[in-house]
Amino acid sequence: MSTPVLEIENLSVSFMTRAAEVPAVMDFSMEVNEGDAMGLVGESGCGKSTVALAIMNYLGGTGKIVGGSIRYRGRDMSTFSENELENIRGSEIAMIYQEPMASLNPAMRISSQLIEVPILHENISKGEAWNRSVEMLQKVNLPDQDRIMNAFPHQLSGGQQQRIVIAMALLSKPSLLLLDEPTTALDVTVEAGIINLIKNLSKEIGTSMLFVSHNLGLILETCNKITVMYSGETVETGEIKQVFRNMRHPYTQGLLRSIPLPGKNKYDAPLKAISGQLPLPHERPNGCNFGPRCPHFNQKSCASNDIEMALVNKKYLHSSRCSRIDQIKWDEKNISSKKSGKKSSKDTLLTINKLSKDYDVAANVVFGGKKKGTIKANVDLNFDAKVGETLAIVGESGCGKSTFAKVLLGLEEASNGKVLFEKKDIGKISVEDRDRKTVSEIQMIFQNPFDTLNPSHSVGGQIIRTLEKVGVGSTVEERKQRMYELLDLVKLPREFDKRMPRQLSGGQKQRIGIARAFAGSPKIVVADEPVSALDVSVQAAVIELLIDIQEKFDTTMLFISHDLSVVRYVADRVVVMYLGKIAEVGTTEEIFSPPYHPYTEALLSAVPIADPDIKKRQILLEGALPSPLNPPKGCVFNTRCPNAIKGKCDSLEPPTQKLENGHTITCHINTKELSKKGNVFAQ
Amino acid sequence: METINTFQIWYVFFLQLTPVWISLLITFSALFYWRKYLGVLGHLCNSRIGLVGLFIVLFWVFGAIFADMIALFEPFEQSGMYRRKPPGVINSKVGIPYIFGTDTLGRDLFSRMFYGSQTVLLIAPAACVVAYVVGITLGLPSGYFGGRSDTILSFLANLVLAFPVILLFYLLVAPGVRETILPNIMAGVFFLFPIIFALMVVYSRYSERINVLAPSVIFIFLIGAWLYSGLVFNADPLGLVTIDPNELNIFAAVVFASSPGVFRLVRGLTMDIKTRDYVAAAMTRGEGPFFIMIWEILPNARGPLIVDSCLRVGYVTILLGTLGFFGLGMEPESPDWGSMINQTRSYIRLVPTIVLPATLALASFVLGLNLLADGLREESAKD
Repeated sequence: MSTPVLEIENLSVSFMTRAAEVPAVMDFSMEVNEGDAMGLVGESGCGKSTVALAIMNYLGGTGKIVGGSIRYRGRDMSTFSENELENIRGSEIAMIYQEPMASLNPAMRISSQLIEVPILHENISKGEAWNRSVEMLQKVNLPDQDRIMNAFPHQLSGGQQQRIVIAMALLSKPSLLLLDEPTTALDVTVEAGIINLIKNLSKEIGTSMLFVSHNLGLILETCNKITVMYSGETVETGEIKQVFRNMRHPYTQGLLRSIPLPGKNKYDAPLKAISGQLPLPHERPNGCNFGPRCPHFNQKSCASNDIEMALVNKKYLHSSRCSRIDQIKWDEKNISSKKSGKKSSKDTLLTINKLSKDYDVAANVVFGGKKKGTIKANVDLNFDAKVGETLAIVGESGCGKSTFAKVLLGLEEASNGKVLFEKKDIGKISVEDRDRKTVSEIQMIFQNPFDTLNPSHSVGGQIIRTLEKVGVGSTVEERKQRMYELLDLVKLPREFDKRMPRQLSGGQKQRIGIARAFAGSPKIVVADEPVSALDVSVQAAVIELLIDIQEKFDTTMLFISHDLSVVRYVADRVVVMYLGKIAEVGTTEEIFSPPYHPYTEALLSAVPIADPDIKKRQILLEGALPSPLNPPKGCVFNTRCPNAIKGKCDSLEPPTQKLENGHTITCHINTKELSKKGNVFAQ
Repeated sequence: METINTFQIWYVFFLQLTPVWISLLITFSALFYWRKYLGVLGHLCNSRIGLVGLFIVLFWVFGAIFADMIALFEPFEQSGMYRRKPPGVINSKVGIPYIFGTDTLGRDLFSRMFYGSQTVLLIAPAACVVAYVVGITLGLPSGYFGGRSDTILSFLANLVLAFPVILLFYLLVAPGVRETILPNIMAGVFFLFPIIFALMVVYSRYSERINVLAPSVIFIFLIGAWLYSGLVFNADPLGLVTIDPNELNIFAAVVFASSPGVFRLVRGLTMDIKTRDYVAAAMTRGEGPFFIMIWEILPNARGPLIVDSCLRVGYVTILLGTLGFFGLGMEPESPDWGSMINQTRSYIRLVPTIVLPATLALASFVLGLNLLADGLREESAKD
């Protein structure tokens, strides 16, 4: 076998901080051969980005490789001089980071940034570098190359920027491409395009890849090998389908069980979160790092000595760091308690009738500007929500779902139409003018757990203030008791009430956000992407918590998300939005099976699924999201729709076709035609 | 004339400052011992620059407190025989050296340096506090509500900031103006702000709980009225609170010139913080705008405000110095540093060191404040 492109052996990286030496990576081994695409999976804080940076020797002032070796094409990288390293970086090993806007110099035009790469590494002329750059832009599917070459980064969308970063990385035809969560900051449909691009290009140019991510579905789609990391160590590695189907480490098993899949919903099989928390670097237990959280933990075999990687299957290069591989029954089905069946339809609690919300955009609204524009954030929304059900609102960024949430809560006022809550129109009543009862009955859980709590006040204090404001309890003592009850409800210890938000993790903060939202026993809770900013295993726990509380209080939940797997798991009914308009409304079953609105179809196909046995029909959308200041004429989706009918879809508004059971699709194409297309997921 | 040499000068200097050294030692030991419980101040211990700045600032604070013990002569005590003497000359009548020399009226520069610090340290921080209250009370609503009132207030603030400072002070503090009631009007308006602010704070937090609200409001009114009558009208019934009308004038003028800067800073911070999710969360639970401004936004703006306050005390100190330099300040006898520099500058060619004590005192104090602000900013950024 030829020398592997990258061979990491027993790597250990530590950070020398003022307090102590923090071991970030311990005993990490990995091999990437020619043409391989290796996925590196783990939660935040496990050390995967540190590994990627160590390969490039970008550890910063405090990071140091304290053990093991990294060999690039057989040569130990610590023997390279600074000059040689510079030559390798960018030309033979290239890296793509998470935030495309941060990777591009905002003060330089795209052309200067692109031609820099071949000029620096191959010393060719400027003209030739320009031609190569334009050619590469074509390869990454960017139209209008001349305009883009002369543009500045801020004039392009996120997807376009990331494509340019990829073009820059591939311009010098590197042997190894490192990608550190390259699509986390992008929308789902844009992500699908980028992933497709990376797959094809790396095959074409022959580049090996190291793909770092926390998204198992994404790794399954792009890579052929996988390494799972936990708390600085590799716990399992091997060929990807083999690992997914025949996992041999409890952590991998836990991860896969905590991810919602398209076939599961909350009534069939609840998600099983991994209990416990990631250990702090200086508090790692003796023996197996995962021991305290492992359901198969055994004092004798798991807690005494350090555990080495054991070969499971030589053919697929499958190894696992578990001392009880032969003792655990891996095929045992996930024992789940069946929840109560679907509820029968109840009374309607909330009716949205022709709701529209416009924003005026001008240079200076007070003194009047010359150029005025209107962003139509919500156009003519019509749907309703029943008592006790979970209604999901799905769409990508810019579709107007957060605007709708703000109108419902009174943070913004509707421009037109009605929001009927318990038969009263509250659309034009801002939150300051609402009476206390209405305010306490409609509450929100915010998206960013790091911003949802005021950093200057203690956690308990903030809950108590909410209780005071919604009128719960008449004395300070009563409210304190209720606050403790709420902490119990979200499964946090009572001692947390004195803590400040910065002392809590993201998942814990989100739980406090949930406690705060349910403090006044609300009738509607709007959850605005409550788990998008959290890790996979924490997501499962928070989702389960939300569902439990919602059922207990019989609250209507409006679940806003862009993640369709979570929506499938959680929701009873779904509303799909695009650029301020509703594309499709229906129950979860109806949305996930044909007939589909073309946009729903594309969204479903874009979601990465962590199940190797499910095959998806691939539908890629061309182009980028249109600007809401200048929406397309006719059907707003027509510029990207693969089934658009010229002459009809780009001039006439599409009709809302009603199917049975309240299912509606807003499209020019007849639903009979759409039903013929077949399911996106085939099994 | 008997003199003492340089070594002896510094020896006497260090000896006289014994109370200051002891206090500094105690304070720093306490700081290091209890730094875990002291929040930002505790974090300061990690920054060498911040500690140096704190040392210098506290040096002058303790110097002002123990001025009576440190000084060798009375601040107003003149001497016909020992005028404009260089450092080290001994006053043969009392046998005590003028360790930093004397000014043109024969007054000991060393003693006046420390008595001057009393004046500076009384007025500068107090003026800063009132300027801060005015700036916050106007800046929070301006940033939060925006709209026309914001545009008007910002315009006025910019107007005051754009106006040449010295000219402004000539208009406000000139002898002719001092006779009018303009200073009292200005002071009257500015001293209302702390009362309004305190009322806003208490009302927004306890509006639901009358049993806490009522006593607090009454308390604020009583204290406020007492201090107000004493400071503005000089009509304190208890006779404890008085202020020289001269000083009141300067005080009001300084607050007037410093508030717009604070206003701008607070307004900018408010506009940034109000976009955060926790402010939206407060709105959705029905909080009124004043609660949000004071309890949600203001505590999170404290980082930049603390740093700015240190620097601003420095600016005000220099401002007082400038006023003294132009003769717009305190009465001519006053030992504040600005006046000292003004009175001694004509004699540089005769006795070069005559300007140094006050100049170095002023410079070192402002430097200390700047270093302290640097240290605080570094540490609050890390938290």
